[in-house]
Amino acid sequence: MEAYPVKGRLVLAAAAVGSLAVAGCSSSSSSSSSTSSSASSGSASASTKACVASVGFEGPITGPVAPLGTEQLHFAELAVSMDNAANNTKITLVQGDTQLNPAMAVTVTQQFTSNASIVAVAGPAGSQEVEAVGGLMDRAGMAFISGSATAVALTTGKYPTFFRVVSKDSVQGPQDANYIVNTLKPKALMIVDDQEAYSTGLVSAMLPVFQAAGIKVDHESVSQKVTDFSSLVAKVTPTESVVVLPWQVAANAQQFGRDLAQEHKTAVIFGTDGLFSPGTFTISGSYVSSFGPDITAIPADAAIAQAAQAKYGSFGTFGPPVFAATHVIDEAIASVCKAGQTPSRANVLAAIKTTNEPASILGQPISFDSNGDLVNGKFFLFKITPAGKYQLIPSS
Amino acid sequence: MSFFFQELVNGITTGALYSLVALGFSMVYGVLKLLNFAHGDLYMVGAYIGFFIIQFFGGAADLSIAVPLLLVIMFVVAAGLVGGLGVAIERFAYRPLRDAPRIAPLITAIGVSFFLESSALLLFGAQYRVYNTSEFISLSSGIRIGSVTIDSVQIMVLVLGLVLMTGLRILVNRTRLGRQMRAVAADREAAEMLGINVNFVITATFLLGSALAGIAGVMGGLLFNTVTSTIGFIVGLKAFTAAVVGGIGSIPGAMLGGLVIGIAESMVTGYISSTYTNLIVFGLLIVVMLVRPSGLLGRVQLQKV
Repeated sequence: MEAYPVKGRLVLAAAAVGSLAVAGCSSSSSSSSSTSSSASSGSASASTKACVASVGFEGPITGPVAPLGTEQLHFAELAVSMDNAANNTKITLVQGDTQLNPAMAVTVTQQFTSNASIVAVAGPAGSQEVEAVGGLMDRAGMAFISGSATAVALTTGKYPTFFRVVSKDSVQGPQDANYIVNTLKPKALMIVDDQEAYSTGLVSAMLPVFQAAGIKVDHESVSQKVTDFSSLVAKVTPTESVVVLPWQVAANAQQFGRDLAQEHKTAVIFGTDGLFSPGTFTISGSYVSSFGPDITAIPADAAIAQAAQAKYGSFGTFGPPVFAATHVIDEAIASVCKAGQTPSRANVLAAIKTTNEPASILGQPISFDSNGDLVNGKFFLFKITPAGKYQLIPSS
Repeated sequence: MSFFFQELVNGITTGALYSLVALGFSMVYGVLKLLNFAHGDLYMVGAYIGFFIIQFFGGAADLSIAVPLLLVIMFVVAAGLVGGLGVAIERFAYRPLRDAPRIAPLITAIGVSFFLESSALLLFGAQYRVYNTSEFISLSSGIRIGSVTIDSVQIMVLVLGLVLMTGLRILVNRTRLGRQMRAVAADREAAEMLGINVNFVITATFLLGSALAGIAGVMGGLLFNTVTSTIGFIVGLKAFTAAVVGGIGSIPGAMLGGLVIGIAESMVTGYISSTYTNLIVFGLLIVVMLVRPSGLLGRVQLQKV
């Protein structure tokens, strides 16, 4: 049911990449880059040339999680636009629609790797997609930074060009599960995965904590495409006081909450990441754990939040990490140009590896360990108020 | 026992929705022998129409008209517009291929499905549109027998579905148009020789089938709340399966098939696990097909040589 090859579509908006061969470049402006690139000691002979490069974007622009993918695309565009202005670079974003489908991600990646002007990629969104394209990216020597792929297995060293600006399931899963065990104290609970790698990965990380605490767990599974939860909700017993939904589609969780109310069930919903969607998921008393912060509550992000709001409307927590990922790439390119070199996959990859941003849109520093994981990554926990607002609460 | 009845109610409600969409599949197949894969997307268009009508009248939380009137307008407008869209699709996409090899209209149907889905994406965006039904139809309204809850929306879907299916059955069995439909389904050339306006009958079939899909779309929006450009796929697939299981081309078969699938899904989810719902339901369907290849109420087609 998940795969539907006939309808698998590729909306690869091949954005104009006018200057295919990349010019040697150097920024004449004062770059705000904090990337300590190995290329930073290059000559300044190319200072009059424009710093031109292309960055690929891989995300689910269409399909069931298109709202999240579109938000990611918007924030990638915003990062490129702001970084171009700040660094005097001419970076172009090339869009690739993966639909959260590994096969589509492979097709997009093949096109990106055969496009010589693309020096790095922001994305893909899903862990299963990273698994599908990791080898291709490695062979092409292409750095790729995901803003939402959280599976533990991705950063064991098997994909040496992979990085992520969010923390991994082995952090989020136990952290969320411990909060549920220690604070919500259920005797039994239902946990429902959405049959995607993201969701099943988190469930796998949570289950041992629940089992160790002696909580009776009913593990269920529904496709992301399903919107009728009445039968599943009927199974929620009075002792199951918590329903854990590690889902990506907030509207589905809203419907689940509505079905709970309709069938007079009082279980509290505990969701993750994709459920952070003010205006869509508004079930009072629910919890949402997110790998991204609510940037509207971070004073230093006010300008970015206002720009995003003005240009694209409301947003959740999937966009800002992609902004951070794209910004890391942009700064790496700028640092290469500052060093008088022409951006290439090799020198951009080297610059990304040495990224050391003391502050970021995510409210935390960004640097990577040797496997591409974000150093000291953290998660954020919110509780939905009766007014539908997301209130940040301590998660441990 | 109450758990069983709750799951039964849930299954029948979802099944009624599948049945309405399956009817359109079956009717079109009956008269044209065409698997109209765009039919699920007509459901999606109907759901969008319902959503925009709610917005037109002030939005779910601030409606400017009475709820019963709103519902009537939603169903009537969705039926009319989606019916018209179905007629247009038949006229411009399928009619020119009526005498072409059967693979041609099949591929065209897939193309129309893509067209509708992509158009909805471009026109309405990627974001989920939410009916927020509970804002204007209270979740506490409806019937509660013991711990079995049937809310007002479920009751409405069940009653309206029953009325529409009964009405369609009467139309097909007891009216002149129904006789013409059955004649065209039995032998299009012979029907034409007998003076039946085949084009009119096919147009009427598309109009009715598509209108039912539009109404089902509004029902789906009210029941499940969320609308996006891809919702037609899963419902279309289930409805197509329902039509085949019931016996494609058979109207009672489509009704029965939808209910069988809806109830089977609900029971498997309730008594076994949602993890195995599709596996078990579609496994059962394979068994049904092996035992009765023409479907539960389908007739074996004799091939004349």
